[in-house]
Amino acid sequence: MPDLFVPDTLEDAIRFLGDHAGSALPIAGGTDVMIDTRIGRVRTDWLVDLSGLGALAGIDFDGERVRIGALTRIRTVELDAELARRATALVEAARVLGSVQVRNMATIGGNLCHATPSAEMPPVLLVHDGVAEVAGPAGERELPLAELFAGPGRTTLEPGELLTAVRLRAPSSGGGSCYLRQTVRWSMDLAGVGVAASVEVEGATVTRARVALGAVAPVPLLVGAAADAVTETELPPEAAAEAGGRAAAACSPITDARGTAEYRREVVSVLVPRALRIAWLRATGAWPAGVPARINGVLSEDVP
Amino acid sequence: MIELGVNGDVHRREATPDLTLLSLLRDVLGLTGTKRGCLTGDCGACTVLVDGEPVLSCLQLAHQVRGREVTTIEGLGNGFGLDEVQAAFVAKGAAQCGFCTPGMIISVEALLRSNPSPTEDEVREALSGNLCRCTGYNKIVDAALDAAATRLSVS
Amino acid sequence: MTGQTVYAEDLHLPGLLVGRILRSPLAHARIRSIDVSDAERLPGVRAVIHAGNVQQRPFGYNHDSIPLKPDKARFIGDEVAAVAAVDEETAQRALELIRVDYEELPAVFDPLEALGEGSPVIHEELENVDGNVSMRWDFEDGDVDAAAARAAVVVEGSYSTPQAAPAPIETHVVIASFGADGQLTVWSPVHMVFMYRKELADCLGLDWRRITIIQPPIGGSFGGKIDIDPHDFITVMLARAAGRPVRLVMSREEEFIGTRTRQPMRIRLRTGADAEGNLLFRDAEVVSDNGAYNGWGSHAMLVVMNTITSLYRVPSSRVRAAVVYTNKNYGGSVRGFGNPQATFAVEQQMEELADALGMDPMDLRLRNANQSGDVTPQGLQITSCGLDECIQLVREQSGWDERRGRMRDRNRGLGAAAYLHVGGGARIYGSDGCGAMVKVDDSGQVTLITGASELGQGSETTLAMIVAEEMQLPLESVRVVNSNTDVKPWDVGVHASRTTFVAGNAARMAAARAREQLLESASEVLGAPVDELTIEDGTIGVDGDPERRLDYARLVRRLLLREGGSIVMASAFYDPPTEMQKEHRGNISAAYGFGVHVAEVEVDPGTGMVRLLNLWTAHDVGRAINPMSCEGQIEGGAAMGIGLALSEELAIFDGEIAAPNLHDYGLPTAVDVPRIVVNLVETIDPLGPFGAKGVGEGGIIPPPAAIANAVADATGIRPRAYPMRPWRVKEWIDTDERSHVLRADEGRDDA
Repeated sequence: MPDLFVPDTLEDAIRFLGDHAGSALPIAGGTDVMIDTRIGRVRTDWLVDLSGLGALAGIDFDGERVRIGALTRIRTVELDAELARRATALVEAARVLGSVQVRNMATIGGNLCHATPSAEMPPVLLVHDGVAEVAGPAGERELPLAELFAGPGRTTLEPGELLTAVRLRAPSSGGGSCYLRQTVRWSMDLAGVGVAASVEVEGATVTRARVALGAVAPVPLLVGAAADAVTETELPPEAAAEAGGRAAAACSPITDARGTAEYRREVVSVLVPRALRIAWLRATGAWPAGVPARINGVLSEDVP
Repeated sequence: MIELGVNGDVHRREATPDLTLLSLLRDVLGLTGTKRGCLTGDCGACTVLVDGEPVLSCLQLAHQVRGREVTTIEGLGNGFGLDEVQAAFVAKGAAQCGFCTPGMIISVEALLRSNPSPTEDEVREALSGNLCRCTGYNKIVDAALDAAATRLSVS
Repeated sequence: MTGQTVYAEDLHLPGLLVGRILRSPLAHARIRSIDVSDAERLPGVRAVIHAGNVQQRPFGYNHDSIPLKPDKARFIGDEVAAVAAVDEETAQRALELIRVDYEELPAVFDPLEALGEGSPVIHEELENVDGNVSMRWDFEDGDVDAAAARAAVVVEGSYSTPQAAPAPIETHVVIASFGADGQLTVWSPVHMVFMYRKELADCLGLDWRRITIIQPPIGGSFGGKIDIDPHDFITVMLARAAGRPVRLVMSREEEFIGTRTRQPMRIRLRTGADAEGNLLFRDAEVVSDNGAYNGWGSHAMLVVMNTITSLYRVPSSRVRAAVVYTNKNYGGSVRGFGNPQATFAVEQQMEELADALGMDPMDLRLRNANQSGDVTPQGLQITSCGLDECIQLVREQSGWDERRGRMRDRNRGLGAAAYLHVGGGARIYGSDGCGAMVKVDDSGQVTLITGASELGQGSETTLAMIVAEEMQLPLESVRVVNSNTDVKPWDVGVHASRTTFVAGNAARMAAARAREQLLESASEVLGAPVDELTIEDGTIGVDGDPERRLDYARLVRRLLLREGGSIVMASAFYDPPTEMQKEHRGNISAAYGFGVHVAEVEVDPGTGMVRLLNLWTAHDVGRAINPMSCEGQIEGGAAMGIGLALSEELAIFDGEIAAPNLHDYGLPTAVDVPRIVVNLVETIDPLGPFGAKGVGEGGIIPPPAAIANAVADATGIRPRAYPMRPWRVKEWIDTDERSHVLRADEGRDDA
């Protein structure tokens, strides 16, 4: 059973993790780490409790950017009205992450650093041009979020390093985003396929687009080619379908109890166009205010 | 040694580093109303309030709730009286085997504190982390809506 | 509601040790040797047991099992050794110190392979077993081949169902304690408690009379806690070896790996009808993959057979079935006991037939519906029967006639399914009876001591209501005692939805006898003949004369507080007038329950995700003594049926359960289950207590079939398996999986 170290400051945490590299693991909300250690998926001598480092939590808007502290609870993200307006996909992903109880405990940093391929936060942060802020024994650095992930369950963080925040691009107008997924149950499920899309528009024309995938590759995947297919268009169905096809071609899903690789590829080609369309409707102001998207993006009668 | 509030009382106890809040409540303090169902955060039978917010005590290190106020099922109602949520569960037949009930009631309490008049969909979303195998959820949802209405009419 | 109920894991006993089981990591392996010396030496370990150092005998149907395996392990999870230690951590470390030398053997996981030549044989030690076939169930009535030749339309199909789990929120917990006098007390959630006690005695060589079973409040069972399993014996053996009480608590993972499951089945079925829509025959081949041992699971076929031969009027039928051993966790008698599987096949084919005939499926059902007075080919005597009424109710409430077949453009569909299930006991054992005692004490309180167990299904309340009604008392004056074998009279057990009917009748009989005693003593005390006395509201007296009226308390005290006094206490034993089936014929139950569900779904063809929008249900319950409880049982059962239909599955690879946890298993949440509409239909059964019949399992049976039929209506494709998880639905859509219909006039296969 691991021992517990409770740092008073971020510096203390970094120093301890650096000194005990390989035998110490950070714990924040605990919703992943507690399970891993109990079932023996992970063995560690020390848990470093970050939950008291309040400075690492918080959502700060600064012009077209927003900075979210790594210890911000998923529940806080879910309930933030400004984020719901400017980075809807983020709030949509937060809402389907586990249950209310899980969201009260889990943190954005934990969801990112646990690096589960099916995690909800990475794709939505990627489509908002996420930048990871990291602090470690060698000081502070930042990196594009996509470079944080090394493989299933592995990040590129060096010994002693901690993710301290994520910065996003979240324009206050002219943008829209969406997170969709395929699951077995309609709640409390892990994604079999996760898709995030964001667009910025001038009028009806897409000036900037992003498409990211979760659960269909060893790491969350930003697919530039899919975004290119819809940029400088008004998102006609052919362009959206092309984006879907390119995204399907770019991913490398596995076959397991949740479906075959072939099935997942097909679902990517279905969900990407839907996510783009909803993002575009939101960006152009055509999406009815306050109406959430269905988790698989099927449009109901009250949406154009 | 940790100190925390539980149902309005302050407790100081020795706690090993890996002691979970669930274990502290059940095995150390003898408050067995909160249940163990899975230890993976799936069933919600271990749900308690920490500073008014519902969390899974099976995944919560006791050390992380030092100085906080925990509310368990034993802390609701007043002695032999039932509060509106508990009374609604009785009236609507919302408990069969009763094992999920403490966690369910805590989650309903938390919901009503933040959303005093939820829709049926909002109730179901709020309870999606509390699994019940006996009731099919119908009567639990009825009880939550009933309790909400009772509280609103009283206030 | 206040957290005060004490379940087995909440109980506190001085000196209680933690018990843990060492399970085989291999699916099929000879056990060459076990070395427990290091485990025994670990401080804090009080007992380490294995086949070499305990006294045990084979148990189970056909005695194919034994608690701690001496010869070989037959599935991943098979019990090989166990420890009792002072705490969890020590017990876990002790398990890790036990060294077992296994010789791995080839294993077989697919039941069809297990039936094939050259398959590894799992129970070579059983002489009366043919290869891996544990049991055959064969039945034929009428000339099926002639009927098939005459039929205007024949539908055929193969359907498969997965290994599923009852997964109650409370896992299994057993506590065993030997007193200084040698009396064994076991706290167990088991609900066939008298058989459990006998099995303990037989297997462990104990004096049967020195065993007390106490049933604490149970956090759900659904059949998973009905039987005696190796972990029950093991807990007792640990207590015996350690000389201290032992509690064994299953982790959630162990609950999936090592407790009873719902057996997977493969069903090949043909159903035929004439041009007017009269059913002519059903012909079924069934393979039930019951895993490594029999448990009760080998008998699920009895229920499967009943549905195939007797749901609707079927003039001729044939069932050829085999229960097969494979190297997997084994099946038990989980809620529904084979009926969800059988109904999945039977009720899909009803709608396929209707479509092939150009008839509405509800009309086809009505045309062939069971009626009061029918005797089915297997000899089931249908007395009360509300099938017609149930069909009409859900047909109307769902808007069936206006909407079925008309919503495909919106990817929506309606589908229905009916069921037939025992509702008045099920004679699968020499006795199907239940005993009851009623006493009225000097306070006027009435106590019912019943053999029936409370699983959380509300039987105590229902039985109390029966007694209260019979004795004209407010419900609050009736208490129910049922949790201790030293006290309660015999009952075969809670299963087969029999409690309301059998225990209810016993309670009613005992209450009536107690009431007679009260009437007789009132007659003496009041000086009036019995036929001039009336009972109302807990009092007996002469009508119209308030001076000559006494409440029960005073009546009892008058009897008691005198020389040569007496008490008021009566007993009864009710055994339904039924028969054990011989060669699969016989009226196994005194009443049968019926019901119909209609499901409305929306299918997303892009992902295959199925959303259940609505479920309308109608159940013939005979009489709803406690309507809230009937609804609760139906709603809860339906939610489990929805889980089976759409998400629940123990995915097994190479004999190993890939993810033994609740989120991968797919238990439905409050978001997955819609508001279920419940209609209680009362047909007032002639033999049920106040006309009531059992309904404990009814809810779980129709949803897989109803939802499959709804998916078919929405998309045109035929689900061949459940759960209808998204990738399967998408595959059926992409490969255009359709009904297989044979028409007499065209003589060819019509896709």
